[in-house]
Amino acid sequence: MTRTVLDIMNLTVNLPNRTRILRDVSLSLEPGEVRALVGESGAGKSMIGKAVLGILPPKVRISEGEILLDNEHLGAMTPVTRRNTVARMSALIPQDPLTALNPLRKIGPQIVDPLRRIHGWSADKARARALELLDRVHIRAPERVMASYPHELSGGMRQRILIAAAFAPSPRLIVADEPTTALDVTVQKEILKLIRELQRETGTAVLFVTHDMGVVAKISQKVTVLFAGKVMEDAPTEQVFSGAAHPYTRALINATPSSADPSRSFTPVPAQLVADLHREIAQDDHLYMTVTS
Amino acid sequence: MLLKTLITRLLTMIVTLFGVAVVVFTLVRVAPGNPIAMMLPPGASEEDIARLTALYGFDKSLVQQFFIWLGGVVQGDFGTSITLRQPVDQLVLSRLPATLELAAMALVIALLLGGTVAVLGARNRGTGTEVGLDLTSGAVLSIPDFLWGLIFVLIFGVLWPVLAISGRIDPRIEFDFATNFYLIEGLLRGRFDVVGSTLSHMVMPAMSLALPLAAMIAQLLKQNLKGELVQDYATIARVRGFSETTVILREALRNAALPTIALVGVQFTFLIGGTVIVERLFAYEGLGNMAIDAVINRDLPLIQGIVLLFAAIFIMINLIVDLSYTLLNPRLRHG
Repeated sequence: MTRTVLDIMNLTVNLPNRTRILRDVSLSLEPGEVRALVGESGAGKSMIGKAVLGILPPKVRISEGEILLDNEHLGAMTPVTRRNTVARMSALIPQDPLTALNPLRKIGPQIVDPLRRIHGWSADKARARALELLDRVHIRAPERVMASYPHELSGGMRQRILIAAAFAPSPRLIVADEPTTALDVTVQKEILKLIRELQRETGTAVLFVTHDMGVVAKISQKVTVLFAGKVMEDAPTEQVFSGAAHPYTRALINATPSSADPSRSFTPVPAQLVADLHREIAQDDHLYMTVTS
Repeated sequence: MLLKTLITRLLTMIVTLFGVAVVVFTLVRVAPGNPIAMMLPPGASEEDIARLTALYGFDKSLVQQFFIWLGGVVQGDFGTSITLRQPVDQLVLSRLPATLELAAMALVIALLLGGTVAVLGARNRGTGTEVGLDLTSGAVLSIPDFLWGLIFVLIFGVLWPVLAISGRIDPRIEFDFATNFYLIEGLLRGRFDVVGSTLSHMVMPAMSLALPLAAMIAQLLKQNLKGELVQDYATIARVRGFSETTVILREALRNAALPTIALVGVQFTFLIGGTVIVERLFAYEGLGNMAIDAVINRDLPLIQGIVLLFAAIFIMINLIVDLSYTLLNPRLRHG
């Protein structure tokens, strides 16, 4: 049996009125693998990462399915064990680096404190590890940055700090929730490169949430395409770009402008296709409500 | 930067105090009641009245009187109390420590109580506990300080008499005070009977003043905490395994406290205003109690001195709030 880092089986996530945000989602991640989660806004791609990390919004519940982190059932754990397991095994790179660092605390403790908590390291050891990682993400004068407040640093620098903080405890899984969306284009490339480099060096598996098919092509080996919380396609990245099976995936690829070839035309996702998919989902919902009520 | 702010504020303070001086001086003279009539027995002769009026300078024009008084104030001479026959500045300064200790105690109680309730409410957000705490603080807020005073007297003074209901300290205690800060001096000199007696006298008026403020802090701070707890940095702290209580205390609290401080500053000035009636209720020998006596006796110089001091205290509190806001917020510190 291969040791999967993450195994999500038939995950369904509901609102209290039983509206499904995720519908029977299954996916898995091998060590060192990058899987992209793509879809439009509201397709539920971020929700998968949140379900794994145990940070679903209030009132949103996992109603069915299992999440296995390093072959351990998260659902079977007590809240405290679960919290500690998630902290030891995984980390989050957030979307907006401007709000992801506490504005009133210096950078140093924000990286060092979690390391001490997760691994029980001494202050010196945790500090050394933080400096090592800051250096790795090309932060000049890491000592000085550790003593700075977030508002003294640029957005790109803050995102690199968050990447360093995510990789510092050596997690097996990193959830990257649109980590380049809030950054300007030149910084985006650099951040993407950095995540890929660190991921390869450490063999960390990454669940990479994005709506940008261009980013998908650059970073991932596998792709999961979501529409309205449902998996439309799950395939190796190469295969998706050479000839996607699902019409929605093809539509998404066609809707992506190419920065390498700006003259290439791109077409929005056809309205007819979206309408058809919604009808399918509505029928599915009707069935679900009848069966579960 | 900070120095410039400080100088600007001090200059503004002088202008404000001048305005307060004009208003209070005019008001106490426009208001009905004659201090001279209060000082003389019924049936005093016209000459006696005229002599006394001239002695206190009340025969001069209002403008002349004002500038005579202001001239004294600038040199640190606030005049002489008509009823107590002592310099106003000495009288006022002898009472100030009692009021400062009371107000500070009330503020500490309000911050601790309000802060604890806010953290508990934020910790249990979305549950019945939060609703219960909200309802309680709403109810507490709707009862004004003097009513709390009466409620406390009824409970701890009458039904279950464990606390002293009047005065500042047990008069049987023999202690030679060097200052009028009974609580602080008692602590510093290790006289715990003095501290105990002072606290026993202080706890009810302090609680009366503190409860409405505590309720307000609880509501506002909880609201701000809830706003901070949905921020990304709080989410990240949770992913790193920190408990919700740690996330609140270490990550969210300081961020939520910043907007709360501005309000606490304003409300604290109301609390100082509240000392006037609450001190009266508990016969607590502070500035507020003296102010009421001064008004009843039409002791014009004393009223003027007390009002000026209150105005100065209000301005100082606002200044301290603004400075602490700057010190707590690194984004403003170097700006």
